[in-house]
Order: sequence, then structure tokens, then C-alpha cells
Amino acid sequence: MRDYLDLAWRIALARPRFALGYFIVAAVTTVALLAPWIAPYSPITADPTRFLEPPSWDHWFGTDAVGMDIFSRTIYAPRVDLTIAILGTLISAVLGSLIGALVGFYSDRRGIRSAVSYGVMRAADVLQAFPVFVFAIALVASLGQSLHTVVLAIAFVNAPIYLRLMRAQVLTIRGMRYVEAAQVAGLSDLHTILRHVIPNAMAPVLAQISVNIGWSILLTSALSFIGAGVRPPTPEWGSMIAMGFQNIVTGQWWPSLYPGLALSVTVFGFALVGSSIEVLADPIKRRALVAELRPRGAAVLHRA
Amino acid sequence: MHFATYIGRRLLFIAPQLLGIVLVSFLLIKTIPGDPAVLMLGPTATPESIASLRAKMGLDQPIPAQFAIYVKSLLRGDLGTSWQTTKPVLDDLVQRFPATVELVTFGLLMAIAIGVPLGVASAVNPKGWLARVADFYGLSAGAVPDFWLALVFIYVFYTVLGWLPAPLGRIDLSIIPPRQVTGIYTIDALLAHDWQAFVSSASHLVLPVATLGLINAGPILKMTHATVERMLQSDFSRYEVLSGMPRSHVVRSALRNALPSIVTIIGVLYGFLIGGAVLVEIVFSWGGAGQYAVQGVLNSDIYPVLGFVLFSAIFSLVVYLIVDLIYFAIDPRIGH
Repeated sequence: MRDYLDLAWRIALARPRFALGYFIVAAVTTVALLAPWIAPYSPITADPTRFLEPPSWDHWFGTDAVGMDIFSRTIYAPRVDLTIAILGTLISAVLGSLIGALVGFYSDRRGIRSAVSYGVMRAADVLQAFPVFVFAIALVASLGQSLHTVVLAIAFVNAPIYLRLMRAQVLTIRGMRYVEAAQVAGLSDLHTILRHVIPNAMAPVLAQISVNIGWSILLTSALSFIGAGVRPPTPEWGSMIAMGFQNIVTGQWWPSLYPGLALSVTVFGFALVGSSIEVLADPIKRRALVAELRPRGAAVLHRA
Repeated sequence: MHFATYIGRRLLFIAPQLLGIVLVSFLLIKTIPGDPAVLMLGPTATPESIASLRAKMGLDQPIPAQFAIYVKSLLRGDLGTSWQTTKPVLDDLVQRFPATVELVTFGLLMAIAIGVPLGVASAVNPKGWLARVADFYGLSAGAVPDFWLALVFIYVFYTVLGWLPAPLGRIDLSIIPPRQVTGIYTIDALLAHDWQAFVSSASHLVLPVATLGLINAGPILKMTHATVERMLQSDFSRYEVLSGMPRSHVVRSALRNALPSIVTIIGVLYGFLIGGAVLVEIVFSWGGAGQYAVQGVLNSDIYPVLGFVLFSAIFSLVVYLIVDLIYFAIDPRIGH
């Protein structure tokens, strides 16, 4: 255990940006969880006598056009944004990679399963030809506007990414000796895919998940910004920025500035974590990084 | 391979792709709750007009027949009617699409102008301060929401400094837009020798173009950096260095060989931006096709949305075709 902590510390020193990424994600998650104890005001109660007040000791980030406290709303918002983004991403990652693994395993063989694989890939081509954002709003509009449909829309527009990623991985892995061995030993296709193919193809998917959570937060807030996602008064970064839109032109910058900053920093954090997973989960890149560190670290990673 | 066969083969792929896009948009109408005829006529329609439109659209016939009718009307250029503008969707889009293309094209040019030089600089000198700036910029550019950056720009350059016009469309309300030739105001104004209209439309372009350019330069920067770096490490670059070629020549030939990847990412980005610039359009009341589509979705006016989706899908297909033609021109390996 101490060895691993020691190694993590060394990596953090060698790549401070990785450490920054994990710090941001941990900090945002903690603040979101502790929001009810940290927030000085209720995030959904307006004080109509104190609207559009600039930042002060009473209201750290000021108040918005209806008199709600912007600081409290900004720290409550990740509860909604992160939940939607993480759920949507996980659904698309699980379904997309499962289908992608099946498609990759059966493509270029004979028979109906190969034909189905081909059809699935062409369907993914067509889906990806649609403009993502308009497609997402159209989905939310046609399914009815609620938190569930925003999650579903995010899952749906992201699924083709995992489908392709997993298919490409499986195409190289399925020719490996251990897959052949599993098949020759009499394991069913499904068992082979679930136990031997997918676990060895997961690394790029994991890196993609973290980056994708960041995108999904952007997508959730963009949907809410135009009024097709989460609606006020529920605290959510995109809809808060939208509420401050009218005030920007007349000079009140604070209702839009703070939620946008929080949003950008959070997405940045997830992107950094993604880039760290990309390095740590890839054996070649990991070895290159470890080679930079001292030998003791190398030994531990080798055992890992 | 011959140029003509190359193009011919490439064009063959377009037909099934288009058919797929039309099929999905048709299914989208079918899955949306409610009667398509009611959706087209809007909440103010009479029962008689709905009944006659239902017959005309073939809604009383089986689904495959409905699809055939849908494809036929598309081929005639009939994309349905918007109940909000009460005009045919095709007319609305022909009027609005150039606005989106203008915005997106200038935004993309700015992204290229930022991304390619920074990418080359950081590949040539990976330890330099410029490479550090580029590295941080590449990581953070994608994290900032464009609609928020647009608001920050508006606050600084309009509200505080007053250097640029209010975010209210493509040209001052007091100025008559130039006669439509291309639909792109800056070009039309130049064609009409209307200096005032040109200055006004150019100044309205500055902030939205800066927003799009700054945010979307990230992928171009990363791709340029990665490929030029790889080319500089490859055998032909080493051979040039060993032969005593000047450094500028080595970098130029590395960039030349990296061009196909850079052109690819630019093409993908161009197709993405047509739909991806929607929020910037909304913030600046741009009146483009994306804003039209979003208004459509929010007011269950579905035909503008489908029309926009078809237009942007065709736009992407054309862009990808052009990208392939550029490959043919810049990569001699494809020609053989």
C-alpha cells in the first residue's frame, strides 16, 4: 500500500497536471456532496428585495435577477450536472461497448451475425452524420422534457463513440492466442467476449469515459442554456448562465460569470483525468512515464 | 488510380448515405408524438385543412408508402412548411443557411490561423515557452462553454469598452443589408461596393467568430502538433537534416507530409460546426439556420428541424468530398 502511495506521489510530482485533474474532480464532487452544509442560503429561495446585488460579504458571488444567492446555487449545481453527465456517459459506455464488442467479434465472418454487424456500423455512420446538439434537443423535445430524457439523449448521442472504440479494439484482440485458446477450450462466444475480450479492450474506453463526462456536462448545460434541459429554479450552471444573459448587456456580470467559471474548471478537471488514464492504462505510455521516475517506482508498477 | 474513377467511386457512396439520413429523419417524424399534419399546420389549424393535408401526405397509407411519398416530395424540393413563419422550410433555409455558413467559415479560418502555427511551433521546439502555452491552451480550450465565452466577450467589448456593436444580428438595424447574391453579407457588400454595410457586417462578425475560433482551435492544434512531431522524427526528416538542409526546409517538408491529417481534422470540424455553432448563433441573435432549427424544436415546429438536419448532413457530405479531393491533390500516394 505504502509503495503505491509513494508511486502516486512520484507521478503527481512528474506530471502535476494529472494531480491537478484529480484534485479538481475530487474538490467539485466533495463540494457538491456537502453543498447543504456549505451553502449560506437556500439555492431555490429568492429574496425579492435583494436582486442583482454585486458580490459582497453577505453574498460572495452576488445575487441574480430574482434575488437568489449565486454562490449557493453555483455549489449546488454540480449535484444536477454531474449526476446527469455521469449517468448518461455510463449508460452509453456500457451499451456502446457491449454492442461494439459483439460487432467487432463477429464482423468479417460469414453468416447472419456478420451481416447484422455491418448493418449496425452503417447505422452508426448515419447517426453520426446528424448534428449532435440539434439531435440531442430533438430527442429531448420528442421524448418530453425531464431529467430522464436529458440523460437518455446524452447516452444516445455518445453511444456511437464507444461502439467504434470497442469494435476497433476487439478487431485486434480477437486474433490473439488467448482468445483462440478460450474458444478451442470450448467456451461459448458470449463467455469468451465477456471474460477474455472485453477486459483486455477496456483501457481506451476508461480514458474516454472521463473525457466524455466533461463533454456531457457541457452538453447538459448547453441544453439547459436554451431551455431544453434543466429548468430554473433548479440550480444548474447552464440555466444560471442563461438567467444572467440579459444582465450582461446592462453591466451585471456576476450572475453569468461564476457558474461559467465553475463549469469550465470542472470540465477541464475531467479532461485532465482522462489524459492521465490514457497514459496510465496504456502499457507502452505507462512504461515511458515510469522510466522517467526512479527505479523503485518501476518495480511496483511492473508488479501491478 | 485515375482522377475520374476516384471521384466516381467517391460519389457512388453519397447516394446510400443520403438515403440513410432521409430514412432516419423520416423515422424521427414518426416517433414524435402527435399528428405530423397537425405539427405542420400548427395550433391554429382547422379540422378540414388537417384532413386535406393528411390525405396529401398519405398519412392514411402504410408506412413504406408514406416513406415513398416523403422521398418524392423531398426530391421536388418540398421540405414541408414551418407553422411559425408560415413559409416553406426550403425558402426559410435558403435565406438563413448562408448566415450560418458565413459565421462558421470565418470561425474555422480563425481556428486554423491559431491552431496550425501553434501546433507547428510546439512540435519544432517542444521545450520552448510557446509549446507550454500551446499545451495548456489545447487542454483548456475544449473545456470552456462557447455560449459563456461569448457572453464574457460581449461584456468586455460591448458593455464596458463599447468597441463593438450590440449582439443583435448580423448588421446594424439602420443599415439596409446588401442585395443577396451569396447571402454572405460581407461578400455581398463588397460586390455591391457598399462600404458602410461591409464595415457594419464585419464588426458584427468579430465577437462570434473570435468565440468559435478560440474554442475550436484546440483539436487542430493537437492534431498539427502530433503529426508534425511524428514527421520530424521519421526517416525522411532525419535524412534531410543529415544532408544539411536548412531547418526551415525540414520543417516545411514535415508540415507538407502532415497535411492530410490536418486537412481531415479541419474537414470534420467544419461539418461539426454547422450544427455546433447553434449556441453562438443564439447568443448573438444571428438569425442563422441553427437558431431557426432550435426555435423549431422548442415550439414543436418539426419541419424546420428536419430541413436543417438534411441541409447540414448534405453540407458535411460535400465537405468530406472536398476533403477527399484535397487528399488527391496533396498526397501523391493516393494517385498511384
